[in-house]
Amino acid sequence: MKRSLLIILILLFVSPLFGIYLANIVGYHEPLDIAGELLDLKDISDEINWTPFKDYTVPGLPDWLGYIISGALGILIIMLIGSLVKTFMKRDRVH
Amino acid sequence: MVHRINVLVYYLHIPDGYLDPPLIISTYILTAVYYIILTRSRRFNIDPEQISIITTLAAGIFVAQMLNWPIPGGTSLHFVGGVLASMITGPYIASLIMSLVLLIQCLIFHDGGITALGANILNMAIIDVWIGYLTYRSVRTFLGNRIGRDKTVFIGGLLGGWAGITIAGAVCGVEIGLSSLIPYGIMISLPIMAGWHAVLGVVEGLITGSVGYYLFTRDPKILRG
Repeated sequence: MKRSLLIILILLFVSPLFGIYLANIVGYHEPLDIAGELLDLKDISDEINWTPFKDYTVPGLPDWLGYIISGALGILIIMLIGSLVKTFMKRDRVH
Repeated sequence: MVHRINVLVYYLHIPDGYLDPPLIISTYILTAVYYIILTRSRRFNIDPEQISIITTLAAGIFVAQMLNWPIPGGTSLHFVGGVLASMITGPYIASLIMSLVLLIQCLIFHDGGITALGANILNMAIIDVWIGYLTYRSVRTFLGNRIGRDKTVFIGGLLGGWAGITIAGAVCGVEIGLSSLIPYGIMISLPIMAGWHAVLGVVEGLITGSVGYYLFTRDPKILRG
């Protein structure tokens, strides 16, 4: 399990290389967004956005750092949900 | 028109504003029915010890999906991971893992639309997982011990990863083609989505087969699926 977590952390810290740096080099845009623009479709993602972390960014931080923090946040939320479910399951078994 | 929609072929996370209300409702209903059946199934058993494996796999797949491999021309592909999860945990729990990842991506990072969440879960947590898993099990059953179990795992993972992505891409093409908001039909969107995902699915298959092979050679018990 420790080795798995180490691999996850390594992937997290190299993720901006792929998600930000190389994406900027090739001028990356979401493929479906490009299709929408070409077809004059209205992407309503921004109009109904509810999160400050849209597209793995953190307001006020450079993209690469926001990407890492967003990744860490996602991992923490998943781990937190796992811990809560585990606690409830153990409690249910005791009762 | 065909040239225009070539740009949407590499990506399965459908955003908001692309599916019309009937498709939104029907994909949500299909997904809800699947999870009601899943949670009532006798094979869907989770004990507290498995939660650690589930969360570690979910976190690993979440972060692996952040590794976008840019393709010159302005798009990218990334590992999806549903079939690998099914090889490790079985398809019932793998569906749950993928849904958790998609929920976090949608709700926290708005990666994939809330209106398309039903479709995205249907494509990546149900169709990709089950098609890939059934292909993987079929290959393992068919080849048996003829070429060595480790090689069978690799070939099963390779074909399972490829088939899962290809069929999920095809279904995504059907959904997009059926949407009245997108002015081209299923006869255009389906072959293009399926065709390109059949090509890109080779990468998914290679990663799935290689990681599965590595895990099997370390300890065959890791692959419970």
